[in-house]
Amino acid sequence: MVRSGSFHVDSSSASHRRTPSRTVTLGHIQPQAPSYRTVYCNDRESNQPVRFKGNSISTTKYNVFTFLPKGLFEQFRRIANIYFLGISCLSMTPISPVSPITNVAPLSMVLLVSLIKEAFEDWKRFQNDMSINNSTVEILQDQQWISIPWRKLQVGDIVKIKKDGFFPADILFLSSTNADGICYVETANLDGETNLKIRKALERTWDYLVPEKAYEFKGEIQCEQPNNSLYTFTGNLVAQKQTLPLSPDQLLLRGCSLRNTEYIVGAVVFTGHETKVMMNAMNAPSKRSTLEKKLDKLIITIFCVLVTMCLIGAIGCSIVTDREDKYLGLHKSDWEYRNGLMIGFFTFFTLVTLFSSIIPISLYVSIEMIKFIQSTQFINRDLNMYHAETNTPASARTSNLNEELGQVEYIFSDKTGTLTRNLMEFFKCSIGGISYGCGVTEIERGIAQRHGLKVQEEQRSTGAIREKGFNFDDPRLMRGAWRNEPNPDLCKELFRCLAICHTVLPEGDESPEKIVYQAASPDEAALVTAAKNFGFFFYRRTPTMVHVRESHVEKMGKIQDVAYEILNVLEFNSTRKRQSVVCRFPDGRLVLYCKGADNVIFERLGNGTDDIRKVTREHLEQFGSSGLRTLCLAYKDLNPETYDSWNEKFIQAKSALRDREKKLDEVAELIEKDLTLIGSTAIEDKLQEGVPTCIETLSRAGIKIWVLTGDKMETAINIAYACNLINNEMKQFVISSETDAIREAEERGDQVEIARVIKEEVKKELKKSLEEAQHSLNTVAGPKLSLVIDGKCLMYALDPSLRVMLLSLSLNCTSVVCCRVSPLQKAQVTSLVRKGAQKITLSIGDGANDVSMIQAAHVGIGISGMEGMQAVMASDFAIAQFRFLTDLLLVHGRWSYLRICKVVMYFFYKNLTFTLTQFWFTFRTGFSGQRFYDDWFQSLFNVVFTALPVIVLGLFEKDVSASLSKRYPELRASMRSRPKVPKK
Amino acid sequence: MSSSATSSVALGGGSAEASASKNTSKRPKYSRFTQQELPACKPILTPKWVILTFLISGVVFIPLGVICLFASQGVTEIVDRYDTDCIPLSSRDNKVRYIQGLEDKRCNRTIMVTKTMKNPVYIYYQLENFYQNHRRYVKSRQDGQLRGPKDEHDVKSCAPEDTIGGEPIVPCGLVAWSLFNDTYDFSRNNEKIPVNKKGISWKSDRESKFGKNVFPKNFQKGSPIGGKSLDQHVPLSEQEDLIVWMRTAALPIFRKLYGKIDTDLQAGDTIKVLLQNNYNTYSFNGKKKLVLSTTSWLGGRNDFLGIAYLTVGSICLFLAFFFSVLYLAKPRQLGDPSYLSWNRSAGGGR
Repeated sequence: MVRSGSFHVDSSSASHRRTPSRTVTLGHIQPQAPSYRTVYCNDRESNQPVRFKGNSISTTKYNVFTFLPKGLFEQFRRIANIYFLGISCLSMTPISPVSPITNVAPLSMVLLVSLIKEAFEDWKRFQNDMSINNSTVEILQDQQWISIPWRKLQVGDIVKIKKDGFFPADILFLSSTNADGICYVETANLDGETNLKIRKALERTWDYLVPEKAYEFKGEIQCEQPNNSLYTFTGNLVAQKQTLPLSPDQLLLRGCSLRNTEYIVGAVVFTGHETKVMMNAMNAPSKRSTLEKKLDKLIITIFCVLVTMCLIGAIGCSIVTDREDKYLGLHKSDWEYRNGLMIGFFTFFTLVTLFSSIIPISLYVSIEMIKFIQSTQFINRDLNMYHAETNTPASARTSNLNEELGQVEYIFSDKTGTLTRNLMEFFKCSIGGISYGCGVTEIERGIAQRHGLKVQEEQRSTGAIREKGFNFDDPRLMRGAWRNEPNPDLCKELFRCLAICHTVLPEGDESPEKIVYQAASPDEAALVTAAKNFGFFFYRRTPTMVHVRESHVEKMGKIQDVAYEILNVLEFNSTRKRQSVVCRFPDGRLVLYCKGADNVIFERLGNGTDDIRKVTREHLEQFGSSGLRTLCLAYKDLNPETYDSWNEKFIQAKSALRDREKKLDEVAELIEKDLTLIGSTAIEDKLQEGVPTCIETLSRAGIKIWVLTGDKMETAINIAYACNLINNEMKQFVISSETDAIREAEERGDQVEIARVIKEEVKKELKKSLEEAQHSLNTVAGPKLSLVIDGKCLMYALDPSLRVMLLSLSLNCTSVVCCRVSPLQKAQVTSLVRKGAQKITLSIGDGANDVSMIQAAHVGIGISGMEGMQAVMASDFAIAQFRFLTDLLLVHGRWSYLRICKVVMYFFYKNLTFTLTQFWFTFRTGFSGQRFYDDWFQSLFNVVFTALPVIVLGLFEKDVSASLSKRYPELRASMRSRPKVPKK
Repeated sequence: MSSSATSSVALGGGSAEASASKNTSKRPKYSRFTQQELPACKPILTPKWVILTFLISGVVFIPLGVICLFASQGVTEIVDRYDTDCIPLSSRDNKVRYIQGLEDKRCNRTIMVTKTMKNPVYIYYQLENFYQNHRRYVKSRQDGQLRGPKDEHDVKSCAPEDTIGGEPIVPCGLVAWSLFNDTYDFSRNNEKIPVNKKGISWKSDRESKFGKNVFPKNFQKGSPIGGKSLDQHVPLSEQEDLIVWMRTAALPIFRKLYGKIDTDLQAGDTIKVLLQNNYNTYSFNGKKKLVLSTTSWLGGRNDFLGIAYLTVGSICLFLAFFFSVLYLAKPRQLGDPSYLSWNRSAGGGR
């Protein structure tokens, strides 16, 4: 999957070769709405006229016939190879002083090596394809299941997939052995998430399970044309004269596998290259290292030197030869020796052929080889970068950028999952205006330490429960004690909300100790775990019901199993920032539970309970400043009539074919209002191991670290404090949209006005800060500077008119924290520095929201070993822990840079000496272009005789040991300031 | 926020292996190579090391230089330039016409032997400003034709001296055509000194590059005549003048062996040279010189090696001395971190 085993990683399908674009696109690609495809299930004849593509896939670049022409074409896209092709052609002509072998031999050797490499890689891809295409699947034929290879599968076939089997194509889910027509799928190959997802078949199709029955199934699927959006699918199933809406819930994607289900039956919708996963197979944008670009310039310079040398020789020749050199037999004049101009002209090309070796032909091949070994042998196998807990070694997904690591000056880091562990633990909560939980967070402890306060030893109350996801300690809420609190009803609602309002799947034994919660995010798992520990144990989920084992509800010590009917789930997404569930209690009570970001919930609260609202807001701020992640919880009792009328709209929206998501959001808006606030929860997000030390080391190495996070400003600042990015000696510039002026404008509510006010404010702030910054930089030993800016202000600061100011301010700061930024803004900030300041940038992140940032930077690093592979898939290097950056940048990057620079210099000096000797000799041969070296010597000089020493240097050269370069990170800074490659 | 559109997703393939290897440890195997811990040494240039290295090089190089210089000085060399002097005064304003003329071009030269020259005394002719390494000149020959009669007709590369009247020239090409044709006869006190012209060429050339059954054909039959003619009945392998000439010189000033004198020449001897001045170097302002020289174990007279050794040796000694003084006068502790660039710049204030 991660094809790091190639010289450049431009692995992947050629048939899908798109021009690698650098533009960062976000969001879904719209399905091509106007055209539909109609699939007749279980009816190959009817599908015949449409000619759907087959299910065999090919990810190879070449086939037997195209290999040579196409492979050579790829090779000759490299300018150096074109140059040598030209020289080789010249050397075939009589004007050449050297035999053709001199230039043809090295060129063919270089081409041969590259082609063999290409062929080998393609062969591996081919074998991989073959093994996939030939794996078998059972399809329905004449009332029985018959095994056929994947490649023979056709659209419309009815297939049966057994437990742990992979789906051979995108399949419409018809029926399953599980009750209620559900099945579980693992999507690790698609998005890396290891939690199981539920897919649910339409109720009408549940029966088509056995071959005899399935044989009768004749449906007609009308659905969207193939597209690459993994999370959308719209279509209708027309069966028995009924039209049933289809959603992504019924689509089983190729690449996923079936779990916890004996077998399922489905109808093939998309095959082969039209499956969503194949449509998504995209070339990683190929990045070229800065050094390589410099190299190109250097080669052009060298080429100019070559032309100059040849010109000098040509002029010399035409002057010198214009004499009665009897022994040259010029009296029997050849046509080329008729006049001086002619002589010069031909001598020029003679000399070009002769001096061609000044451009090192094997330079690129050697460098590629060196980098390849560096990345596969050194980076991928470094034990210092192996994370035992997650069993993840570092992985260089491209070998192009090794030396770029040694030049990085700016690091853009995501916070969650990168600096912090993304290991969420329920830590505190606030119910009805009372704050619970008496733990002290790591960040609070860090702050206290910096203030010189003594940190008291943690005192845990006896019998406090501690498990993964739960680190809450307050006897007032445990073991039913909440019944004696001032607001027992609100407590109950909070616990119910935690236990019901989520999309978590329980797995394993239905006992509190053994159950495992599969959740889309660790936050959710932590919340459900918390509910469990408070005595509301969620133990079973069916598609319509949530079963909760409640303790102490009616009276102390009483345990009862309650089944809540889930009527609607209004799912979480980034625009809504909230999630709601409508459920019916066994006694018929209809409740909507909602949880979400504080501002979203507060906007939708009903009247009354102003004091609780105020106190809760304070608590939220407290939690935030301790570095905790907060969520607000609310509920609303519904009366059946309003619910029923709303539900109709909801169902309509759900079966809409176009803009379904938008319509769903609108409908949700109708019911998520007039909520009653319950309280809030606070979850601790622990720092990753060794982050503060790593950050300190990196900043000593002269690297500036920016934190870009979607979190609140308080949380972001606190994390920055906790990891040593900001301290109290620093001068802080805070540009926030939470100022009075802006708030006032926002209350007035005119969008244009708001924009104008914010822009003015941002401009004012920027100007002020910049002046102060420049002032403090001019004074000797002024304090270090740091900048904190939030997403809203950033949006205006990135405006072309203010951009320059933002850039010069931020470049003066040692650390910058951007909070509440969107993924797009992350990418914008990265390219601001990349393009505006011409500095080498590195982005590190772990989630899908970091993808754009990772692709925008010179070097993108993904945190691997956690959930979610999207960041890793987009990255150039993948490491398991933030702290491994020290090794990656200070050891590998530094050495790679040093080595590649030396190799380049070695190459140029070696070829310069080789050729300049020749040039000098030219003066002693009457500028005739007689060669100085033997043909074979000249042809093998670069590719054989001097090939190994350079590679050895490129692999083993060290100036200081790994431990020294980590102990003195300043070494790296000093190396960078000195240009290693000579500028001619 | 989903950005599925931009993310690349693994293909369906490889998934089987991925799940199979799920339980196995991905911990990289330890090897010194992959951990970059192979034993290595990097000499640190401490003052002692540097001074010692310079001292040793100086001490070794200076005696070497002296030895080489002595060897070179021990060689006696007599050089006599005759190209202008052998032209009668009346013809000096148009040397080319004289040399192309038909009159007798005999010329008498007198050489004084200042130091005794032990046998063998080598006779060279030295040509200057003669680009025997000119590309057009060098490639105008056919080695196959010289080796055996089989390739007699293969004269493609010999242009413009390839054929005459459709018949191939043997040996063909400009190199052979321009064969040097001045001759020297030596006499002392009216007594002829025999010149040994056997064994003046490379043995390998005689035995394998010039055929015993290849005889000159149509050589110097065209016009103008480039140089010496060859006896049609002597095989090329015995035409040693040709063999010497055909080994082209690398530089425009070169000497070629003419013959050997197998008797000692005493100091004070006056040697008369009867010289046949035939070769035309006048058209390109070339110089002609006659050289008599003995040899040492180091070859002919060449002071360069000795002087180079002496110069480098003395520089080394001087540097050793200079660094010692510097080291004694202003010693610096090894590994003093305050000299590191970042410490220095911090001290300087920013």
